[in-house]
Amino acid sequence: MQPAQLLDDRPPDGFLRIDFDRDRPETTFNSHIGTLYAKRGPKGTRDEFVLGFRVHQHMCNPAGGLHGGMMMTVADLVGTMGGGTLVGLRKFLPTVSMTFDFVAPAKVGDWVEGRAEVVRQTRSLLFTNIYLTVGEEKFLRASQIAKIPSGEGLAFGKAKLDRNAAAAR
Amino acid sequence: MSIPSKVPPGFRELTGASGFAAANGPWFEKIDGGRAIRGFLPGPQHANALGIVHGGMLAAFLDSAMGTAVFHTLNRRAVTLRLSLDYLGPGRLGDWLQAEGEVVGHDEHVAQVRGRLYGPRHEVLTGLGAFALLSRQRTVMPRG
Repeated sequence: MQPAQLLDDRPPDGFLRIDFDRDRPETTFNSHIGTLYAKRGPKGTRDEFVLGFRVHQHMCNPAGGLHGGMMMTVADLVGTMGGGTLVGLRKFLPTVSMTFDFVAPAKVGDWVEGRAEVVRQTRSLLFTNIYLTVGEEKFLRASQIAKIPSGEGLAFGKAKLDRNAAAAR
Repeated sequence: MSIPSKVPPGFRELTGASGFAAANGPWFEKIDGGRAIRGFLPGPQHANALGIVHGGMLAAFLDSAMGTAVFHTLNRRAVTLRLSLDYLGPGRLGDWLQAEGEVVGHDEHVAQVRGRLYGPRHEVLTGLGAFALLSRQRTVMPRG
């Protein structure tokens, strides 16, 4: 990662960059939209899985607010990656259905965090609620149904937290 | 910028895009009898780990098409209040994808919009949204 990016993003303590594209020839959407970070906390706590990112201009709408498409993309990821992590699944979970309530805007410079709450897991489906927040303020509420594929499935996009970058800090 | 050859006739590139839309475009639009249809050609930068179009990209694109439908139907700018989406099939890289919205009802403050996003062979995403109508003078202010 570019050190400049890390300086620009100023992720709070504990957040590590998510490396979505290990061994991939091309950048995929999760990397293309911006640098996303994750933090792991103690099991069963509110911070067991937290996704985070700094809002930059290229994530915004013409009015200078965080673009709804960016909010939805991140919430989708928090549900599948974060929700999957909470229930111990490392598979890629395709999204079946999502509902978003755009409660408030977010703006350039904000540090956004996303957390998932597992509502129920069945053999083939995972139901989650997702909130995106800036500080204590919720600005997006989402609910998601994701499919749990049978068999091994694809490991989650080979995504890994970039611990080398953290060690270099 | 040269227009990719897969863009069907009648579609114009949306210029003046900034931020997220510019970073994930180009996006195209065709106005067909008062109805706005949007299209884009997904590339590798729109893919998820499965190599199909990322659900977030599809959501963003359908949202934009539904918002545009409000503007073309009611001549009012709008912001999305709520969006409910069902993923029906994969969006494939290199397939021309189209999205359109239809205003199914509205009052002074909120419009209800149905949306669909589809490829050359099948439906990809269906949505229902509530859009808050902005007064004609107002611009969207970021928080704070």
